[in-house]
Amino acid sequence: MRVTILAAAACLAFLGPIAAPAAGGPAAGKTVKIGVIADVTGGAGAYGTSQKNAYLLAQEDLAAHRIDAGGAVLQFDIEDSATDPAQVVTLTQKFSGDGTALLIGPTLSSEAKKADPIAVRAGLTILATSNTAQGITSLGPCVFRNSLAEEQVVPEALGKAIARWKVKTAAVIYGDDDQFTKSDYDIFNAALQAHHIGVVDVETFHKKDVDFKSQLTKIASKKPDLLVIGALQEEAVKIVAQAKQLGLNVHAIGGNGLNSPKFIQLAGPAAEGVVVGAAYYSGNGYAGNREFVQRYTKRFGSPPDQFAAQAYAAAQIAARAVKDGATTSEQFCSAFKRLPVVQTVLGPVAFAPNRDVRAASAILQVKGGAFAFFK
Amino acid sequence: MILQQCANGIFLGAVYALFAIGYTLVFGVLDILNLAHAAIFMAAAFAALWLTSTGFPLPLAIAAAIVFAGLLGILLDRVAFAPLRRRNAGTLAPLISSIGAAIVIQGVARGIFGPDERNFPAGPLASTQFHLGPLTVGALDLVILAAALALMLLLSYVLRATPLGRNIRAVADDRIAAALLGINLERTIALTFFIASALGGAAGILIGLQYNSVSADMGGRIELKGLAIIILGGMGSVTGAVIGAFVLGLVETLAVASIGSSYRDAIAFGVMFVLLVLRPQGLLGKRALRAA
Repeated sequence: MRVTILAAAACLAFLGPIAAPAAGGPAAGKTVKIGVIADVTGGAGAYGTSQKNAYLLAQEDLAAHRIDAGGAVLQFDIEDSATDPAQVVTLTQKFSGDGTALLIGPTLSSEAKKADPIAVRAGLTILATSNTAQGITSLGPCVFRNSLAEEQVVPEALGKAIARWKVKTAAVIYGDDDQFTKSDYDIFNAALQAHHIGVVDVETFHKKDVDFKSQLTKIASKKPDLLVIGALQEEAVKIVAQAKQLGLNVHAIGGNGLNSPKFIQLAGPAAEGVVVGAAYYSGNGYAGNREFVQRYTKRFGSPPDQFAAQAYAAAQIAARAVKDGATTSEQFCSAFKRLPVVQTVLGPVAFAPNRDVRAASAILQVKGGAFAFFK
Repeated sequence: MILQQCANGIFLGAVYALFAIGYTLVFGVLDILNLAHAAIFMAAAFAALWLTSTGFPLPLAIAAAIVFAGLLGILLDRVAFAPLRRRNAGTLAPLISSIGAAIVIQGVARGIFGPDERNFPAGPLASTQFHLGPLTVGALDLVILAAALALMLLLSYVLRATPLGRNIRAVADDRIAAALLGINLERTIALTFFIASALGGAAGILIGLQYNSVSADMGGRIELKGLAIIILGGMGSVTGAVIGAFVLGLVETLAVASIGSSYRDAIAFGVMFVLLVLRPQGLLGKRALRAA
């Protein structure tokens, strides 16, 4: 699937009551091509669809001047990589030679590890919005990331949960065949050690498993104070539901994989009380977030998840760089390096010298069927 | 704990059994592996989900979706298998066309319902739990177990004691001889597909309810295990498939309980390998259906 939309900023300058007049920046009147690679279909389709939706919305918001690009036109070329590493590589090659000034994506860390080196050789600046694995930004001197990694959110969330619930022992269940959930385990485990929490049981599962009862029965027999879940949303839903079914009523905590409205929607009452260390909270009070959530929900029928918010924030960051005059890949790279703190839907965001993001994490708890700050 | 683990294993086995019964029936009759069985399994779950979302009561939605799955099975046969059968295409070509059909059905489901997981509205069936001493058992677990056993018995009865069953067995035994004896071959095959797909559809709906999740790729999770079960049970043997399913469910669960969850699948498939080395024709062999 290929969606190309022109943000005709100049033409639309007088449309809509919200539209402010375009501020003429150094790039005013120029068109900047931004390539997006997202897994809109295939196994990671749920994540890529959120990302695509966010860029479509950002495109409209740029045209209506809700996002200020200094009078320049940002043209998003959104391509579907279908959760197929070969297609990610093909698309990266395409964007490496067609005048694209900034590459946003791909969706998964494993895809980024294959595709980013190709873009780096072609001199493309990359902005990753959902690659949480370690070492992504060290793939090249112009590889940036605006998503908080697990190690930036999980230890803090765990520390808070341990203090709040006076946790002495914990059991862990995680997916051992996925880079993300495996590193979830490593991070949680290190944090548990640091807090001197006794780990009474460690259980594993595989991607797409649906039955976790034998693992949870074993965990229940060890009577831990805390259940640590290193899983993506699909499996996490079933883990919390089956834990409740088996009468395993303990506090539970998970990472970014659980931070999705879908998790609550699918798990229902079983999700109540679960604490999630996350990079985004849809109820946060940062500038522009409420409008973003409202418009996204209205446009696409469901509230934005973390993937959508991080993608929308990437568009906001790109617009800010363009406003400062960036129109080529080289200029994007240096503009990102000099980037001041940008107000995004994720909150204030800046890049650290290692090109990783600096942003506040959100420690959330499911309360009354919705996420709320964990107090 | 061990008692609860055995219960977990039996209920997991019931889930596998539901899927495997229809899978093995088509193989027993037609000698073809219908790899679109998992896609029909998924399509039925979506059909039931869609019907409940339009206001149908759950039991009615389930019944209608099961019929839908059966009809989809007949359509599948007409489109993917019948043309090849007429040209005596052997057993490999239908295998490929069933993969193609599975991809199409999945693509359509994804196109209509999107890539996200869906769930049934919360109901008393999914949330009711019984506590029997140290055991915790869900109402839906019991329904699935009862359905698996009842459908197995019903199918065995139909195959053994009804005119339709006689025809199916005759076609399974020797298609040409059956046709010479005046059995309507295409009609019998269509009915076989209807029964097998309706069973697969029932499995999809109940499993969708059990795990509270319906998605376009839900069939992929169970397909490989279903295949292993029907080979272990003895290709084409309905009773064998059910026994194979309980063996797999128990071995998987006890592997986690005794050794470790990382080796769950490795142990389960290892045990199946040993059983197949000891009995290459499977637990009940191929003849069980034909002799039944």
